[in-house]
Amino acid sequence: MSAAAARHPVYTGDSGALLDVAETIAAEWAELGVHGSFLARNLDTGEQLGFDIDESTPLASVVKVPLALVVLDLIEQGELDPALPVTVDPGTSSVGPTGLAAFRYPATVAVADLLLLTLSVSDNAAADALLDLVPVADVDARLRAWGCDGIRMRHRMNHLYECAAGAAGNDFSLALELAVRDERAGRHTIETLDPAHANAGSAAALVGLLRRVWCDEIAGPRATAELRRLMGLQVFTQRLASDLRADSLRWSGKTGTFLHLRHEIGVLEADSGDRVAMAALTRADRSAGLAADIDLAIGVAGREAFEVLRG
Amino acid sequence: MATADEASFSRAADRLGIAQPLLSRRIKTLEAHFGGLLFDRSRRQITTTELGVLLLPYARDVLDRAQRLRQVARSARRSRVCAVGVPADCAPAALARAIRAGTEHGITLGMRELPPAERVSGLADGSLGYALVRTAPEQAAFRVPLGLASAPAPDGTQGRTPRRTVHLEELRPRRGRTAAPAAPPPLLLLTEDQVSVFEDRLLRSAARAGLPKARIRPAGPAATALAETLAGSALLLCAEPFARQHGAHWAPLADRALHRGYDVSAAPGRAGAGDVPGWLAALLASAVGAVPARLDRPGPGAGGEDASARLAARG
Repeated sequence: MSAAAARHPVYTGDSGALLDVAETIAAEWAELGVHGSFLARNLDTGEQLGFDIDESTPLASVVKVPLALVVLDLIEQGELDPALPVTVDPGTSSVGPTGLAAFRYPATVAVADLLLLTLSVSDNAAADALLDLVPVADVDARLRAWGCDGIRMRHRMNHLYECAAGAAGNDFSLALELAVRDERAGRHTIETLDPAHANAGSAAALVGLLRRVWCDEIAGPRATAELRRLMGLQVFTQRLASDLRADSLRWSGKTGTFLHLRHEIGVLEADSGDRVAMAALTRADRSAGLAADIDLAIGVAGREAFEVLRG
Repeated sequence: MATADEASFSRAADRLGIAQPLLSRRIKTLEAHFGGLLFDRSRRQITTTELGVLLLPYARDVLDRAQRLRQVARSARRSRVCAVGVPADCAPAALARAIRAGTEHGITLGMRELPPAERVSGLADGSLGYALVRTAPEQAAFRVPLGLASAPAPDGTQGRTPRRTVHLEELRPRRGRTAAPAAPPPLLLLTEDQVSVFEDRLLRSAARAGLPKARIRPAGPAATALAETLAGSALLLCAEPFARQHGAHWAPLADRALHRGYDVSAAPGRAGAGDVPGWLAALLASAVGAVPARLDRPGPGAGGEDASARLAARG
């Protein structure tokens, strides 16, 4: 059982103290059977800490952030009308537990509000409705053009569901067990868990993207401002934000959860002016749909990183 | 032989407990076999012929040897030990009852304490005649409640709260307590529970209950596992008698699918495959601590003890 815990992460840290925190986080995660990558960077000083930051991981819903940025940029360029009404029919839309994906009757929503649903409640149907307007290949090409080399967009959100259901016949616990077993064996029965075929990214690339969004160094300034606003509206707080909830702190994030994957990226801004961008991409070795201790451990990592990196 | 001794077909038939015509036919068969009369039937009282007298000592010898052969076979059957594979930590008194019952039924039983996998392989290779084999509790003939042994309360007040079942979710560390969170105690698995079907089931339930996989570990030697349990640094998965015997607090797992299930199986090919005498199955079940199918509450005796302990503690 402890064989998997014997992996050795590659640590990143600008000082001994930062390396210590990175090592503590990796050890705490390993104790819970969690592996993955973590990176936190102070957006103003550039100081950072983390481990395995270049490892490519399937992004699940975290990919909705670069998708939203591409759509927002098209809107800013005048190539897409934010008020354009789009009708989403549950009979044909993507599967998901929230937002339009959970609707029972057709609904017509404007493009700008599809973006809100995509980022605030991680609505798969809204995200795929956006991908009907801006094809997957166009999103990927725009990311290439922006130099976001560590991030790949390769498929629609519903493809995650289709591959899992295809491999496990709509049996969630079986899919979960396949994912966990494959992780141990180092192969991929479910294609969307293979970084080579999935929407994938590394912690370094994602934190790099967040830095450019927060510093207005990518897309147009109205696009980045709107992305920052929408990420601040996320309703899920159980993960990176779990130990960072205070009136003096502002968290803007996007979670990603699929089978044994539990991710979140985001930026914490304090009243004091400190800004720290973070990415936590994790894979668990247990077949649990809900794992509060893992979410909390990710939250603890976020807090420890923020407190050591802030000025 | 009997005919020669008695000098009468009817008396000889009586002594042998067979009908006279049958005896006569057998003697005729013998006479045809040896090619001459063995008895002279011409007088009122039959006499043994010369040939008969000549063969008599040899016949006696053959019969004696056959008799000895039968005796040897019987005593060999009696002394052959039939090995029975049982789990570790069975109740010795109950095993003794099984051995005694075996003697009464003409079988010498030998109890072998073996890990679960070896009990199965022992049946297959013929080194065991019978064995208690682990199966899923819902299909098994017998169910043994599995529970968590933990350190007894230091002031001996464990009777204050009535015994209740343990749910795996309750083992998650509590949040929000100010005390520094010590590492949550691991769940130790005895050799008896290191069976893949059970381990898979337990790990799945533990994952669903929000416990990390690393919380569940093999116990290693039972004595050190018990020591850690009694010291409060571990929780030991075991049956109630084992915990009580060593003074540990014990509560059963609420999920009966996680209890131990046993079937008593016989080695295939021995006296009809899968044939286990009912008396043996029942005694082995009691040795392993099985509970009746529906009843799984403790007897009133335990409750009475707790009640008096409560009175003493409150003074």
